[in-house]
Amino acid sequence: MTFTLGTIMVGFVLLAGRLVMIQGIAADRYVDVGESQRVRSVVLPAERGAIFDRNGYDLALTVGQSTVTADPRFVADPLATAKALAPILGQSAGELQDLLTKESSFVYLARKVDDAVAKQVRDLAHPGIDVIDEPERFLPAGDLAAPLLGRVGLDNEGLSGLEGQFEKRLAGKPGKMILEQDPDGRAIPGGLRQSRPSARGDDLVLTIDRSMQHQAERALAGQIVTARAKGGMAIVMETRTGEVLALANLVADPKGGAPRPADKNMALTNVYEPGSVNKMITISGALEEGVVRPQDELSVPGTIKVSDHVFKEHDPHPVESWSITEVMANSSNVGSIMIGQKLGKERIDRYLRAYGFGKKTGLAFPGESSGILLDPNKWSGTSIGTVPIGQGVAVTGMQMLAAYNTVANGGEYVAPKLVKATVGSDGQPRPTPASDRHRVISARTSQQVTAMLSEVVRVGTGKLAAIDGYTVAGKTGTARKPLEGARGYQEGAYVSSFAGFVPAERPELSAIVILDEPTPIFGGIVAAPVFAAVARYGLRQFRIPPPPPAAPPAAAAGVPEASPEGAQGVGEAGGEEIPATPVPTTLPPSNRSKPAA
Amino acid sequence: MNAVGIGSSSLRRNPASPWRHVDLILLGAVVAIAGLGLVMVYSATQSRTGFAPTYFVQRQALFTVIGVGLMVLMATRDYRVFRDFAPAIYVATLIALAFVLSPLGSNKRGTQAWFQLGPFQLQPSELAKVTVIVCLSAYVAAHRGELDGRRLLTVLALAALPMALIQGQPDLGTNLVFASILMGMLVVAGARPRHMAALVFAGILAVVLVFQLGVVKEYQRDRLGAFIEPESETLRSAYSLKQSTIAIANGGILGKGLFRGTQTKLAYVPEQHTDFIFTVVGEELGLVGSAMLLVLFAIIVWRTWRAAALAKDLSGTLMCVGVLGMFVFQIFENVGMTMGIMPITGIPLPFMSYGGSATLASFAAIGLVLNVHMRRFS
Repeated sequence: MTFTLGTIMVGFVLLAGRLVMIQGIAADRYVDVGESQRVRSVVLPAERGAIFDRNGYDLALTVGQSTVTADPRFVADPLATAKALAPILGQSAGELQDLLTKESSFVYLARKVDDAVAKQVRDLAHPGIDVIDEPERFLPAGDLAAPLLGRVGLDNEGLSGLEGQFEKRLAGKPGKMILEQDPDGRAIPGGLRQSRPSARGDDLVLTIDRSMQHQAERALAGQIVTARAKGGMAIVMETRTGEVLALANLVADPKGGAPRPADKNMALTNVYEPGSVNKMITISGALEEGVVRPQDELSVPGTIKVSDHVFKEHDPHPVESWSITEVMANSSNVGSIMIGQKLGKERIDRYLRAYGFGKKTGLAFPGESSGILLDPNKWSGTSIGTVPIGQGVAVTGMQMLAAYNTVANGGEYVAPKLVKATVGSDGQPRPTPASDRHRVISARTSQQVTAMLSEVVRVGTGKLAAIDGYTVAGKTGTARKPLEGARGYQEGAYVSSFAGFVPAERPELSAIVILDEPTPIFGGIVAAPVFAAVARYGLRQFRIPPPPPAAPPAAAAGVPEASPEGAQGVGEAGGEEIPATPVPTTLPPSNRSKPAA
Repeated sequence: MNAVGIGSSSLRRNPASPWRHVDLILLGAVVAIAGLGLVMVYSATQSRTGFAPTYFVQRQALFTVIGVGLMVLMATRDYRVFRDFAPAIYVATLIALAFVLSPLGSNKRGTQAWFQLGPFQLQPSELAKVTVIVCLSAYVAAHRGELDGRRLLTVLALAALPMALIQGQPDLGTNLVFASILMGMLVVAGARPRHMAALVFAGILAVVLVFQLGVVKEYQRDRLGAFIEPESETLRSAYSLKQSTIAIANGGILGKGLFRGTQTKLAYVPEQHTDFIFTVVGEELGLVGSAMLLVLFAIIVWRTWRAAALAKDLSGTLMCVGVLGMFVFQIFENVGMTMGIMPITGIPLPFMSYGGSATLASFAAIGLVLNVHMRRFS
């Protein structure tokens, strides 16, 4: 009998031992299993930060939308549920049924549906069907600045443009909610274990001015249609800060409709050969180096032989005695080449680089191009002829604008800026650091160049850029487009541009307008008026007063007036026989001189 | 002696009164477990949808009160009186078990085991455990424990009849309790070792045959299969087995706290207020609480064994041994299955599981033990 009791007690000890094992020693293993089936974590998407213009107007923001999802494990009757949902979601019942019978605990049925659909689905209240909030990116200003802003994917992830560049800041941190659920997968009321709210992404405050952007796009679009151009871009910059006020990238609609936003932010991603606009760099460098003075007279023939190539003016002329100012105003190829030869290739290269060519602007924009600048050691014999007049060198529109802005800014280069501030969760704007700046030419040289550029507009090739009451300084350009994937240039395909600033006496705004394959081809005819329209609006928008009439700019004397109709200048367009430089062939075809691809 | 008049005055006057020898330790353990059982039933059922939070615990409290009354009743009349009525009790038991199989009985989830009496169900097989203990004790004691082959067969036949009727319901779990009762009583009654060996062999053979011939229902096979292969997710029983272990493990050393068991509240464990009540103890009161409960059960077993050892006559001893076999099997099987070391069978945990008939049977059995114990000198 005692043996019996002992045996039974041993049994109790064994039970207790099992208890110790389950609840003590191996408890974690079991508890983990229990946890995993009982606890469900739900990701709370973070609201993407908004993008504002410099005045706080919305350019891109996130609005709530609903997404219909299902947990097929809990869908009791997939066929009935599919049939009920099909008309609401506008999908076939068969497809829905496939989704609802998937071996999965989560499927999307319809993403980003509107509130009415969401309500209908909620009212159905079929088991296993859920409606979750899913925000959608919304552009209140429509296509405005679209290539700059970039696109987001279905999950609101930034894919391109600023959306892509600032993805980390904009996206925010998703939160997490840990719920307890019963064996049927229903969340337990009050069963919330832990909730870490999502952190909203930071907002971006751009330097862009919405109205300025709109005007730039409107003026550019009008000219693209009028000049039957393939596309174009226009950039407006605040002179002193380098802040970009407008950045328009448009391409023509092949069907003849209104121009559309380009796929890319071409002003930063695409390069073109600038042509005559580049003469400013050559001449300013020569002035700064003391190689020439503005009033120095050059004996400019109609042609000049460099190495084995004869460069011509666009319009033949006899040997003329032109001041440096007149060379600029007339956009003389031969004169510019002569100045370039005096300066020498090393110093030309140095100035091109000092003006920001050949390297990225520091914006770190996705896909931004450095432009193409050959090492002077690799220049061909004709390079000393092509580079001073802006062929055989490729830049982005932004780089060229920054170069002109340097002159406007008293000779000091200011890196362009697109983001003025970020706004964190505290709502306080945190200004971005001021742009890098460095001196390129002296204030005196910049004044001399400004005077020359003012002459270009007053009496030279850029007359159509003039604005009543203001002095505009700028330079026209009409450059041939290189062939794609081959040496040489395309026949009759030009990139026409105007770069400049206003008011010349005390520059506030710099701008560049570039048109891809316009008709007529001349920058002074197609690009300069767009510049004038955009700059005129900017002057009004930013309340920039005209300078006191007592202080007219020092006009360089003796410049013959170019007729407005013939605002192309003697060497405005590159001569027909300009040889292809080695530059373009070093590029992949897609990157080559496609300002408005 | 008939101790009808219970009172302190009679106690004082008569030092030989059996009421002076009530086993207070046993009683205390039973009361403690039954009290804990009520709390646990409440915890397991308070948030059950479709029922008032106290629906189950109120009913269980009623069962407990009736059970206590039955226990007192069972203790009051001298157990030797039961011997005299044994044949009548036996026949009544058989009739009840037979009737439950008739259309008078009601069927729940494929088992025909209850009489529906208004809002209550009476499960005769539960009470039959106690009555059969009494009857077998009476028969064996009448023959002074000399169990030759013929008498052994008679005993077996006496046990087999109600077991056959119970298998008709079918209720394998209760029959296993019967087998345990029978084994214990036969050993103590002095059955010969070779008879016992033959019996064990026959039992194993029977189990094999039962499985092979498909007498066992699908769900029963599932349950046993789950024990053999607990990781198999497809089996509903494997689910309950794993869930029960998870719930117990979730309690850890000190438990989640009363009414705070998450697995419990979320109804992860099926049949938690009945067969799996031990998981509530495990989760909410932890290792400390469940070990305490095991200690209380061990006390019941010890005091029952002690009553058997001290009993004045063989019938008393056998009654206590029968009760011992019943409790030991139910405790080990029930607690063991919640921890995954025993196959799942629908056996209630005495004084803990929700259920009227089982509660009444357990209290009646304790009443019997108290009876034998307090009359060991008279």
